[in-house]
Amino acid sequence: MQQSAANALTPSSPEERASQTDSTKTPGGSTQLDDAPPENAPENAPETSSTQGSPHQTPSPTGSEETPAPIPANPNLQIQLKSEAGRLLLRLPPNPENSRSLVPWSDLWLQLKQRLNGGDRFWQPQTVVHLVAGDYLLDGRQLQTIAEALEEAQLQLKRVYTSRRQTAVAAATSGYSVEQESAVTLFSQASTVNGQALDDPLYLQTTIRSGVEIRHPGTVVILGDVNPGGSVIADGDILIWGHLRGIAHAGASGRSQCRIMALHMQPTQLRIADKVARAPETPPARYQPEVAYIGSDSIRIAIATEFSRVNLNRSFG
Amino acid sequence: MTRIIVITSGKGGVGKTTCTANLGMALAKNNHRVVVIDSDFGLRNLDLLLGLENRIVYTALDVLAKECRMDQALVKDKRQPNLSLLPAAQSRNKESITPEQMKELIGELTSKHDFILIDCPAGIEMGFKNAIAAAKEAIVVTTPEISAVRDADRVIGLLEANDIKAMRLIINRIKPAMVQEDMMMSVQDVQDILAIPLVGVVPDDERVIVSTNKGEPLVLEESLSLAGLAFANIGRRLIGEKIPFLDLNAPHDHLFSRIRRMFRN
Ligand SMILES: Nc1ncnc2c1ncn2[C@@H]1O[C@H](COP(=O)(O)OP(=O)(O)OP(=O)(O)O)[C@@H](O)[C@H]1O
Ligand SMILES: [Mg+2]
Repeated sequence: MQQSAANALTPSSPEERASQTDSTKTPGGSTQLDDAPPENAPENAPETSSTQGSPHQTPSPTGSEETPAPIPANPNLQIQLKSEAGRLLLRLPPNPENSRSLVPWSDLWLQLKQRLNGGDRFWQPQTVVHLVAGDYLLDGRQLQTIAEALEEAQLQLKRVYTSRRQTAVAAATSGYSVEQESAVTLFSQASTVNGQALDDPLYLQTTIRSGVEIRHPGTVVILGDVNPGGSVIADGDILIWGHLRGIAHAGASGRSQCRIMALHMQPTQLRIADKVARAPETPPARYQPEVAYIGSDSIRIAIATEFSRVNLNRSFG
Repeated sequence: MTRIIVITSGKGGVGKTTCTANLGMALAKNNHRVVVIDSDFGLRNLDLLLGLENRIVYTALDVLAKECRMDQALVKDKRQPNLSLLPAAQSRNKESITPEQMKELIGELTSKHDFILIDCPAGIEMGFKNAIAAAKEAIVVTTPEISAVRDADRVIGLLEANDIKAMRLIINRIKPAMVQEDMMMSVQDVQDILAIPLVGVVPDDERVIVSTNKGEPLVLEESLSLAGLAFANIGRRLIGEKIPFLDLNAPHDHLFSRIRRMFRN
């Protein structure tokens, strides 16, 4: 049943590959994600990342317990924007004193603009924003740039939480109310412990263009295309209501039951938990909505309508 | 209102400068007051394509340094007095000017011109940031190649982030025969990914290279070549005229008769 519903994707475990017809040329492999530094994992390494059957992982038919610790959709690499009690919280990535942030200011600004472009349909005009800057160092000009970007999306910056004295001074000078807190209390919430409940889904109406990477510690829904060179990394499911031509990594913190769904599944690469797959070199004659999931220890793709039926029968997993 | 348009691409060598020179000339021929700005400091060549190199006395940097007035730096085109060029300095690098200074220069030009076309250098670094700083619109140029389209896509994202949302696409150097044989991305393939409005498709044509070397934009030709016609049409679409896209697949004899017909109109 599941065999018939699944079309050939590059399988990712050696046994699985052997059991399938040789319709794809690219040998996939469970990738040792824990070896890759987080910054270049998903975006820069698509061509080289699928190493042949990872030696230190014994493929287990039941799946996820023995997987190497994958990279979660690390919230420390991106800004987060979420609503809480009628206002928006804009949380900046950490930037501990005496070390460089993984997200330099120009990237941070770009991320903010992209999130605002993709989400502006969902906020009431003049919604109040609290900036949770943590230990990210901001000067007056940068604060003003953030406020202007928010204003452009009809949002209002009101309050700034920071653990940095300099940022606090800049914010107070610019007329925002300031709350200074210790770095520890601010960022204990943002840590990524396995087994923690996922964040609320992130819903974006936008095109994920080349060079853009969306990371979210929960499910991601994109109303639009993910172009070649763009990527979506989620700790939960990924739903692309459009063309998926770039990279999607669902269950990035290790949840192998996560899925990737797309109206038009033509990815550069798919990942679910620690499994990697590439689309077959010969594209199907016709595209239709499909679902990628882990079945028999490798990534499989099923036609969406078929998948629902299989799923209801609980014949896998 | 002056329209300030940046011509950009991400990838180098896809035809930004060629497009800037031809569109500038096409708009000027249609009685618009046009200034084209070379924002490629260090690797200027818009002056060459326009055949104006030997007439440059001052550059944009001299204007900023208050060593000359703006009107002294502007090089007027002899063939087409509606067109002038603000040259870039040859000897400097891209860091020798800031986005603020670019805005200052362009601010000085708005009152006397209808169009300001900014020829952007390749890449997304400082030169790109300078070029887009004052722009209100963008023309994104790409060739039908995967790498060029990828870079164009990236640039479109950056333009969006910089609140330049009025964007149009030029697909340059298309080879209809190769598209028909499925060896090259088609116009549709490119549009599927980039998803911004198309303003023109320019065929690959050796005459473009010849005109580059002569310093004579194709749109100046007595009887327009297909590429020249494509540029002329883009100029007219920019001012809102509805002009159907050329059918580049039509056999040649038909093509020439059609060009002649269009030319008489
Ligand atoms: N449609 C065309 N047909 C044939 N040759 C072309 C065409 N368009 C541009 N070229 C040639 O491609 C080369 C590069 O063009 P051009 O200098 O306009 O590109 P560019 O994008 O400005 O490059 P750079 O990024 O270096 O500034 C030139 O030699 C030009 O003659
Ligand atoms: Mg150029």
